[in-house]
Amino acid sequence: MNNNFLNIGILTWMTFIPVVGMIAVLLVPKEQKTTIRWISLGATIVQLIFSVIIYTNFDRSLAGVNNAATMQFVERYSWIDIKSVEWFGRIHIEYFLGIDGISVPMVLLTALISFVAVLSSWSIEKSIKGYFALLLLLDTGMMGVFVSLDFFLFYVFWEIMLLPMYFLIGIWGGPRREYAAIKFFIYTLFGSVLMLLVLIALYFSVSIPDASTGELVHTFDMIAMMNPANYEANSLLFGLNTSWRYIAYVGLFIGFAIKVPIFPFHTWLPDAHVEAPTAISVILAGVLLKMGTYGLMRVAMPIFPDAAIYYLYPLAFLGFINIVYGALCAMAQTDFKKLIAYSSVSHMGIVLLGMAALNTQGMIGAMFQMFNHGTITAMLFLIVGVIYDRTHTRGLNDFGGLMNQMPKYSAIMVIAFFAALGLPGLSGFVSEVFSFLGAFQTFRWITIASTLGIVLTAGYMLWTLQRVFLGELPEKWKSLTDINNRELIMLVPLAIIVILLGVYPTPILDLMNASANELVDFIKGENNLTILGQ
Amino acid sequence: MIPLNYYLLFAAFLFSVGVVGVLIRRNAIIVFMCIELMLNSVNLTFIAFSAFMGNAIGQMFVFFVMTVAAAEAAVGLAIIIALFRNKKTINIDQINLLKW
Amino acid sequence: MLEQVYNSLQFIKPELILVGTLLVSIIVDLIFKNKKVVVAFVILGLVLSFYYLTFLNSINQLIFFNMYAIDPFAYFFKIFLLVATIGIVLFSVLSKEISDLKSREGEFYYFLVALTIGMFLMTSSTNLIMMYLAIELTSLTSYMLAGFMKEEKSSSEASLKYVLYGAFSSGMMLYGISIIYGLTGSFDLLAINMAIADGVSSLALLISTVLMFVGFGYKISAVPFHFWTPDVYEGSPISVTTILSVASKAAGFSMLMRTAKIMFIDPYAAPTVNDWQIIDSVPIVEILTILSVLTMTLGNLVAIWQSNLKRLLAYSSIAHAGYLLLGVLTMNNEGYSATLIYFVTYLFMNVGAFLIVMLVSNKLNSSDIDSYKGLGMKSPFIGVMFALFLISLTGLPPTAGFVGKLYIFAALVNKKLILLAVIGVLNSVVSLYYYVRIFRNMFLRESDIETPEIKLSLAEKLLILVFAIPTIGLGLYFAPLVEFAHASVEIFSGN
Repeated sequence: MNNNFLNIGILTWMTFIPVVGMIAVLLVPKEQKTTIRWISLGATIVQLIFSVIIYTNFDRSLAGVNNAATMQFVERYSWIDIKSVEWFGRIHIEYFLGIDGISVPMVLLTALISFVAVLSSWSIEKSIKGYFALLLLLDTGMMGVFVSLDFFLFYVFWEIMLLPMYFLIGIWGGPRREYAAIKFFIYTLFGSVLMLLVLIALYFSVSIPDASTGELVHTFDMIAMMNPANYEANSLLFGLNTSWRYIAYVGLFIGFAIKVPIFPFHTWLPDAHVEAPTAISVILAGVLLKMGTYGLMRVAMPIFPDAAIYYLYPLAFLGFINIVYGALCAMAQTDFKKLIAYSSVSHMGIVLLGMAALNTQGMIGAMFQMFNHGTITAMLFLIVGVIYDRTHTRGLNDFGGLMNQMPKYSAIMVIAFFAALGLPGLSGFVSEVFSFLGAFQTFRWITIASTLGIVLTAGYMLWTLQRVFLGELPEKWKSLTDINNRELIMLVPLAIIVILLGVYPTPILDLMNASANELVDFIKGENNLTILGQ
Repeated sequence: MIPLNYYLLFAAFLFSVGVVGVLIRRNAIIVFMCIELMLNSVNLTFIAFSAFMGNAIGQMFVFFVMTVAAAEAAVGLAIIIALFRNKKTINIDQINLLKW
Repeated sequence: MLEQVYNSLQFIKPELILVGTLLVSIIVDLIFKNKKVVVAFVILGLVLSFYYLTFLNSINQLIFFNMYAIDPFAYFFKIFLLVATIGIVLFSVLSKEISDLKSREGEFYYFLVALTIGMFLMTSSTNLIMMYLAIELTSLTSYMLAGFMKEEKSSSEASLKYVLYGAFSSGMMLYGISIIYGLTGSFDLLAINMAIADGVSSLALLISTVLMFVGFGYKISAVPFHFWTPDVYEGSPISVTTILSVASKAAGFSMLMRTAKIMFIDPYAAPTVNDWQIIDSVPIVEILTILSVLTMTLGNLVAIWQSNLKRLLAYSSIAHAGYLLLGVLTMNNEGYSATLIYFVTYLFMNVGAFLIVMLVSNKLNSSDIDSYKGLGMKSPFIGVMFALFLISLTGLPPTAGFVGKLYIFAALVNKKLILLAVIGVLNSVVSLYYYVRIFRNMFLRESDIETPEIKLSLAEKLLILVFAIPTIGLGLYFAPLVEFAHASVEIFSGN
């Protein structure tokens, strides 16, 4: 298996190809708008091709998770190495990339969504150069988060995304863009500074022997942090079930929860979604939200399995609140984008519930739901974008009877909506079933209560379809044109994926099976630990 | 012989007068004089300690303080003149171009 | 005795060269009409001083009868001060405020040299007399520099406020020194340390320590001794504001750190590797903690309401003093080295930010935050560079500011001062809010009035890059900086 191209690893290529594109975009004079668009598209297509290579070459039997040996496409170089002084140990930060079954679906999703986002930005005219440069930088940040295994590197990528996102919402957004952008920025930074403190505490607690000299070196290596044997005695996070470990877990959890977003940290999401331009909403819902749950799976739970188990019940309960609260809020919306934003809150709740189940079905369901929600919500936002481009309104009550006016559009929209409400035969159904089945074994009552969310989701989704498609076509929309080819190019592949995975989910389930099993086994460990509230 | 404490209390009293003066007087020159008063009370403390401990270094410091105080007064008065030319006042309450 | 003086002279070559530069450039200023000759001469002197300084990198010695320390710690700060001063001289050459001074322009530069001498003395003094004289030399020069545009109302007002606050707090500090002298009978820090360790009246010691900290607090503009800072920063020429916010703050910190380490460490405690044993009778850590928390919180909160960019950056520099104090109050090598690292990152990002403010106000005659509306779109280079400096000031990766904050918080977490670390990071979230207001105006808003496009000359662009490249470079690769900082505090190891 050849993982290198021009002696540079494939993950590095994937992560930094958008930066190359960004530099190219910056060098092009701003009048040549078409060139800029094509360069950006080119960068994301190359990324997509790399992701296909990864998909085909990925060894599905290797689990990864807490074992560096079974990580794949690993690239490991020394980045910063500061020699030790008597009173301060050696500082070693690595450029450490690698993927396993948890990250591969996310890598694929990121490449796919970035490609779609560039396509859907085709009609942007305002400062196009800056727009695409920032979009590509954002792409690098997202990809970097999913492939890094060194916590320091992870944090750097995590933070790199903030600024492009702020500007993309703030400059190209809707009327209340300033408010939405700053709210997003402050919320996320609040979460990530807590993460920073935990990162530092972990660094001082964990040390591994240097390969050549044998001296103990503190490390940011996430995989080393997962092994309790690497914790130094008397360090802050040493031991199991200590209050410091619980606090640290909560710190990390808040950092990730804001990204997901988990109730009560979700209030930035509707604002950001409503104000962001279509492509950014797509990225936000398609990839950024997944970073929160990915972080929980990749970082918070394996590093603090004891605390994760201790807080399992609250996690499931938060999942339940997200599902039902999100659905109830969605029901009350008259703004198309806000409705989808709240439906995201609801759907991410299912991921939490599946994760909290802590069994294979639940975990697979959660991971698969992350992937599916990415594709489905991306579709939903694109659909809103299509209609918004034509009518410049998102008010649900302004529409009606579009079925006959825009038949192709309606067909795609029906697929997306049915996938979102979990109709069997479409991908959303599979992951929801897995999540609920898993959760039912662990938290019977919470799961039963959560199914209420499914009913509500079906309710508001169908009601929306009715409001938009059925009834009288208002006079002013008589001249609406149906969906065009560019829009089809970005929507149809997503629709195919949604249908295909609904009928035959194995291609993606295969990828994560081994890792999900390993993750669950690892967190559970040998000893059955107490769960808060049970 | 007069005990050390008398000197110290007197110096502390002078110092307090200086501090209070700086805080409540509004004329820049009087504020400056109050600061000089503070410095002189410090000198008194130095000399008292120095004399009672039989340690000459404290008296040496006094020379430095006096010199620096003179330099400070020179710079301070020059600045007050510059300001007076601009604003025709040296009342601190009216020097309020810069505010939070 | 003369022999020791003579032997000591070889260690203060950098200082002597600066004194020589000062004296000769006064004469040069009188002879030449073209003031750029003075600038060239001053830069030459600074570079020469830098050259001789590099020979002192591994020397650790007390000279002039234990009055003056030549050690790696002072070396670090002297390098820092020279880099800052050279940067600010170049910076001032581009400043319209300074070149408009015409015949007085030359004076400005040799005052900068005099200021540098004062700061050099501050970093090395180990005797209260020396410290007092160094502070006064620095202060007197700063008063004059702050009021340098004496025709401007705001400038002369700033300098009057500065001189009153400065003289008042140095009076306070002197009173503290006099009490310490009475308690210990000496001005030498080491001797004072021994005397304190042997036991003195703790109430008197507390009062004198607090009074001395008034002096330090004023120099580093820590709350509640910060009242002069916003006014002086706003009223002074921007070059002076910059040097006050970076160099003079660094000199104040170096003195505070040296004093805290030498005076209050228990010389009888068992030697330790990292943490220092503090003499029980002085609540030095508590004093520093209160100062630090007040400083960063108030600095950040008040900065939110500012509409003048110079004033906003003044409050932000107050807040940064708070973060720097976090490093000092850990009272161990790690925290001290973190403070040093933070200072270097702060140098580049803060001078860079002030440079942009200066260039914009050269063209627009305003440093009001509203005059930045739409600037980022019209002049993308300025916009992007300013954004970079502001991100770094907020402390986001991959910029230098993040590295500085990382080390400060690492020192706190390692000392298990978690609560302080949490206060610190929350403060940096608050600071984001006002830095983002500047981004918002630059990129998200359209200008209401017609503002001319800002064209920068090549020299101006290059100077911006001189500060921008380390700001991003140190964020990506900070090993040399950290090693330098570690080596510089090595002498403080243990007790």
